[in-house]
Amino acid sequence: MTAVLDGAPVATRDAGRRSSWAAALALALFEARRLLLTLPVLLAFALYVGWIVWRTPDFQDGYPALQDADRAGQTTLLLVGMAVLVCVNQAVLRAKRRDTERHFAVLVLPRSWRTAAHALSLVPVVLLTAVCALAQFGWSALRSGAVGSGSPGELLVGPLTVLLFGALGVLLARLVASPIAAPLITVLLVLMLFVAGGFPAGDGERGLRWLAPVVTEASSQTLPAALLDRPAAWHALYLAGFALTLALLAVLAGGGRGWMLTAATAGAAALAVTGGVLQCAPVGADTKAARERASVSPEKDQTCVRHGSSTYCAFPEWTARTESWADVVHDVQSSAGGTARTQPLVVRQRIDARHGLTGDAALEPSMTPHQVTVGTAWGGNRVPEFSAAVAAVLVAGDEKAAGSLCDGRMVTVMWLALNRLPDPMTSLRDVRLDDSVSGSAIVLSPTNPMSMTAGQTDVVRELLGRPAGEIAPRVTAHWAELTTPKVTTARVAKLLGVAAPKAADRCE
Amino acid sequence: MIPTVSASGLSLRYGRAQALDDVSLRLGQGVTGLLGPNGAGKTTLLRVLATAVPADRGAFAVLGHDPATPAGRQELRRRLGYLPQTPGFHPDFTAFEFVDYVAILKELTDRAARHREVRRVLDEVDLADVRGKRIKKLSGGMRQRVALAAALVGDPGFLVLDEPTVGLDPEQRMRFRELIAQAGEGRTVLLSTHQTEDVAMLCHRVLVMAGGRIRFDGTPAELTARAAGRVWISTERDPAAKAGWRTGTGTFRNVGSPPDGADLLEPTLEDGYLLTLDGAGAEVAA
Repeated sequence: MTAVLDGAPVATRDAGRRSSWAAALALALFEARRLLLTLPVLLAFALYVGWIVWRTPDFQDGYPALQDADRAGQTTLLLVGMAVLVCVNQAVLRAKRRDTERHFAVLVLPRSWRTAAHALSLVPVVLLTAVCALAQFGWSALRSGAVGSGSPGELLVGPLTVLLFGALGVLLARLVASPIAAPLITVLLVLMLFVAGGFPAGDGERGLRWLAPVVTEASSQTLPAALLDRPAAWHALYLAGFALTLALLAVLAGGGRGWMLTAATAGAAALAVTGGVLQCAPVGADTKAARERASVSPEKDQTCVRHGSSTYCAFPEWTARTESWADVVHDVQSSAGGTARTQPLVVRQRIDARHGLTGDAALEPSMTPHQVTVGTAWGGNRVPEFSAAVAAVLVAGDEKAAGSLCDGRMVTVMWLALNRLPDPMTSLRDVRLDDSVSGSAIVLSPTNPMSMTAGQTDVVRELLGRPAGEIAPRVTAHWAELTTPKVTTARVAKLLGVAAPKAADRCE
Repeated sequence: MIPTVSASGLSLRYGRAQALDDVSLRLGQGVTGLLGPNGAGKTTLLRVLATAVPADRGAFAVLGHDPATPAGRQELRRRLGYLPQTPGFHPDFTAFEFVDYVAILKELTDRAARHREVRRVLDEVDLADVRGKRIKKLSGGMRQRVALAAALVGDPGFLVLDEPTVGLDPEQRMRFRELIAQAGEGRTVLLSTHQTEDVAMLCHRVLVMAGGRIRFDGTPAELTARAAGRVWISTERDPAAKAGWRTGTGTFRNVGSPPDGADLLEPTLEDGYLLTLDGAGAEVAA
């Protein structure tokens, strides 16, 4: 049967030039705006920004090493990544869940392009993440105590992780049309990240754990940037390739076809594999040798400068910090008596980099006379700890001997170390392992710790409670006796004009 | 004269059911009604013409664009406005956002021009005041107008409306008819409906489908005229009538072959429609 209706043909009024690329970009912008305004993403960003504001000013006690600051926010960004995963997944599934798919299917922009638009909608989120990461790093870099250098690769890891998670969300929506799939995958990812953290490091300090998006380190020590040997650039390539592969697979799953798409997917996968393989390669022999040299004979890599009568030897990135060390040495020596006031010291920065960042190893105390060890960290508790080490070397002669101080000299050491610090009593609390100002305790220092008896603590507390000007002349006057081995705490107390403790010295 | 839509021999089978059976048609400017009982193939025909499903056999073109090729299908879709039978919505979107979203999917990419167009169609369907309101807060009638606005955005030359007045109250239905009538000015509208009043009020042409085939093609007046002399009133239901029902006055209105001396009534479009369905398989009038 044929039905015929007459009438003039109708032309459509074109609202501008049309193209699928431009439409996909417009859709990506539309979806990006909605994605950024979803509650989980907003909350995750709020937490991330809150973390930056809360953590950055005090990061590494205000003396940040930029080779650590560049990866400081990576773990927190996992939260943003997971929120993006869930929300972009829900956005892709929206048409299916709301039954608009059969309508949208007859509109001009095909499903594959819409999928691409969802993947592209991740770009603004990723850029925002990058801005936040850069702001956090820049904030650290601008601090007056900042040392070292950051890695662009490390800075890219966070944003690329968010991109990876988002691409996974898009692909997941194209493979499983269920809104609970993304939350389930997120839980699974959290578990996997825990498992990945436990992957063996393999040969050296790398290994399969680098297949996880964010790779944390067991050690909190700061190493010179050249000794870190974190394959951040390869890891960034791996993440970028992986994310791109997932996004392109999503477009394929969304109905996209053509040799260009297939070739791009293969290229992205090749990038991911290349980055993945290279990042897992063992630590190079050169790096291992450099780590060994820096740990065993740091003087070969260090630059030494003189401040006053003492010499300060630091790895190149820390040279500017020698002035801060010299200030502490000056303060301690100013309170000392005898030859200790003018004793030339060698302050040497030491690290144990032999195992990279896979573990914390305590530094052995130096047996070189008048040499004081200083670490790579500074600020906060590190200042009284270094001050205590300087005082102990001035009193005991070397760090090894200082570690076994078990008599009244410990009182002199602690008074010398703390009396000229801004808040001596707080510093006493900070330098003690138990954070108390009473009883016996371990006293932290850059190398082996020292110990204080309860009686010594009482005397030191009493001394620090009095004006330094009252004690200092007594220290100077009785310096020889105060620093004599086996001098009792009671005798020291008497010489310095405070009450003697009842209990005898008994080291733990 | 070139028609907006021309189709020939469209056939589509769903399993054992022949949803479309050799349907041919040519549509020009104005509103064309598509009547038919449930299962007649109306929605299937609309979905085929809207390129939602391909026909098993036959061909069609819209404004000269053949959907058999990807490029032709794209061009056709650029000229198509489609309002599905039960349109879905994104309830968290505002009316503006939803229509804007559809406009993007129609590849209206210039943001300023697109937003102007979205405002225009929302004005056209009388939703300017609520365009910033989320769809979940809108009434059923308003939502239906949002769907119509989404179909109208981009000023398509061919508008496919699948039962757009279902579920609307009389006032909303009347408002919707006005909108469809406006939409029919200057474009081709194919309106599927169960409501013969819709056709009577809106359409200059009507197609009646049954069993996947077109059983009638003509003007509403011609369809009505098919019942001339075949509607009568009686005090009892006439067993010879093809259809009959009790009216509000207590008498029976019968449609079919009246007995001699029957008290004949003025036929309506519905009478003509019922008689056409009853005679499905008979020769189509036009």
